[in-house]
Amino acid sequence: MKENIKVLVIDDEVDFCYFVQKNLIQNGMFDVIIATNGNDGIELAKNEYPDIILLDLFMPDMPGEDVAAALKENSATADIPILFVTALASNDDIVDSKESKIGNNYILPKPVRTKKLIETIMKILSKP
Amino acid sequence: MATSFPRKNIIFLVRLMVIITTAYFILFSPSASKEWENYGYAFIAFYLMTNLIVFQIPEKYFYDDKIFFGFILCDSILLPAGIYLSGYAGSDLYLMYFFIILLATISSRLEYLMMSTIIFSVIYGWLLYQKGFLEGPTAISYLLRIPFIIVIAMFYGYIITTRLKDKDRRINEVRERYEQIVQATDVLMCIVDNDGKFLFANQKLVKFYGYQDEKSLSGLTISQIYNEDETEVEKSLSYVKSVYQNNDMSQYESYDKNHGIWFANTLSPIRDPSTRDVLAVCIISKDITDRIEKEKKLNDTVDLLIKTRDQLIQKDKMAALGRMASGIAHEIRNPLEIIYMGLDYLENNLPDDNSHIRESIEKIFNAVNRADNIIKNILAFSRKSVYKITQLPLCPLLDNVLTLAEQMILKNGVGVRREYDDELLEVAGDHDMLEHVFLNLVNNAVDAMKDCKEKILTVRAHKQLVTEVGYKTGYRRADFFSIGDEMIVVEISDTGKGIPGEALPKIFEPFFTTKPAKEGTGLGLSIAHMIMDRLSGTIDVESRENQGTTFFIKLQPTIKVTDAKEM
Repeated sequence: MKENIKVLVIDDEVDFCYFVQKNLIQNGMFDVIIATNGNDGIELAKNEYPDIILLDLFMPDMPGEDVAAALKENSATADIPILFVTALASNDDIVDSKESKIGNNYILPKPVRTKKLIETIMKILSKP
Repeated sequence: MATSFPRKNIIFLVRLMVIITTAYFILFSPSASKEWENYGYAFIAFYLMTNLIVFQIPEKYFYDDKIFFGFILCDSILLPAGIYLSGYAGSDLYLMYFFIILLATISSRLEYLMMSTIIFSVIYGWLLYQKGFLEGPTAISYLLRIPFIIVIAMFYGYIITTRLKDKDRRINEVRERYEQIVQATDVLMCIVDNDGKFLFANQKLVKFYGYQDEKSLSGLTISQIYNEDETEVEKSLSYVKSVYQNNDMSQYESYDKNHGIWFANTLSPIRDPSTRDVLAVCIISKDITDRIEKEKKLNDTVDLLIKTRDQLIQKDKMAALGRMASGIAHEIRNPLEIIYMGLDYLENNLPDDNSHIRESIEKIFNAVNRADNIIKNILAFSRKSVYKITQLPLCPLLDNVLTLAEQMILKNGVGVRREYDDELLEVAGDHDMLEHVFLNLVNNAVDAMKDCKEKILTVRAHKQLVTEVGYKTGYRRADFFSIGDEMIVVEISDTGKGIPGEALPKIFEPFFTTKPAKEGTGLGLSIAHMIMDRLSGTIDVESRENQGTTFFIKLQPTIKVTDAKEM
């Protein structure tokens, strides 16, 4: 049996984290760990080394871009793919933010349904 | 002084001469009676005094014939009295002398004066002869009186006639000058009577209405030559009549439709100098077409300014709304996400046979979808997205839009007409954005024809020169289109129910919709408007209820350099 995909969710919306965790775990292929602020997220990423990080852009303690930058700087977490899941984004923003700190990370606009979220995660992970 | 020889001066001088001569005879005449001397002085004093009074009387009274000849009559009675008082035997000579002056004064011509003087001399000579004055030693002195009379008459006659000629010449000069003014003036000028019949017209008027000379206007009335509407002719006649009635000036403006000229007409009464009754009406018509046209232009400009201002306010309103809406949208999306995820969770954990709840969940999903769609549209307002403006072939783009909408078009039984002036037309624009705009308009068009018998969607594309000033169109730097530029116009017409007049100004407002809540968010056209703004283009609408609606999308034919700055 294949090992489950470990997903780290960094989002200040506690209820969002709660349901993402429920839905992904129910799917059976995922293990989900949660951080509700940026610093906790960076710590968890270092310690747990997840396969993918779902990151919010707007968070009270530090913005998602800074979290992403910190993760990229640390060699331990640099190669973990980051998927921004944010209410700020729509397709236009992705184009817009090419030059911003989001960099080469992936982005998924909220609201998104579980099915699409899983599809996107699988797509990212299947890339070489 | 080149003044005329006024009657007052004549009277004054005549009287002065009477005084001098009378005084001379009273003082120096050998036969003067001493007992009358005091009366003589009194006479002179009286005469001097009355002359002073005469001198004070204003000039104009002397032109009243009654006063003028009254003076002369009075003096002609007083003079013999004065001569009698002086007691001089030969005073009859000065009676003659006075009569000559009298004749000279009332005669207007030298010939008449000379004729009457000669007749008078003959009679006088005959009288002298009859009375026996022409005999004896004094004969020669009496005989000499006759040429003396004639010479004096000639002298005064000459003075008076030259004065009269002078006066005539001056009157003519003044008349000529007025004539020159009347003819040289730029205005149409005429004098008409109560019925509007021409009494006089200046050359300008005669020529303007295509007549040979002033005479050919005689007997005609203003209503016969004014090229106005019948109501206007009535108006001009009624104004003439009102001047007669009110004895006052009046003014009105009229339009000559044959010449296409606007006139400002001033009607002034010409009055009888003594009774002040209106004798005729002088009409002066000034061409004010320029002014009227300028006024019209000004009004148009003001209208345009108001329209532009309204549009700017509208734009501002939309921008403010967009900013606020995007803030709200972000805040709403997070809870929406939770609802989505929560619903997913609930759905996955339902007992197998619970179709009611499954259905309810589906309905909630749909509601959330709708909310999300609105948010997506609202976000389009606050987007600072990059438009990729490129040179695009227009017709394939329009064809593509029609293909995208094909299913809906077929389902509704709508006939499509494509009228492209040139298959190779190109526009400067963002492909996706333009597609969004056109698709939106095609959707609207098909929707509008749902309940109509005739269902024809026409898509036209053509090049057009910018000729009229309008929204973002004109001479300003900020205008998208300058007068004389080329623009590409896409027209999307339907034969649908049309947009009600009161709704027309609002259709580009966000959230304005006439569709049921489930079908429209009221954002489609406002987004189209915004996109067109970003593309330096405009979108306009024309609509007639129950006949159809046409949207005009005006686009840049080539990429403008300024586009980069605006982005």
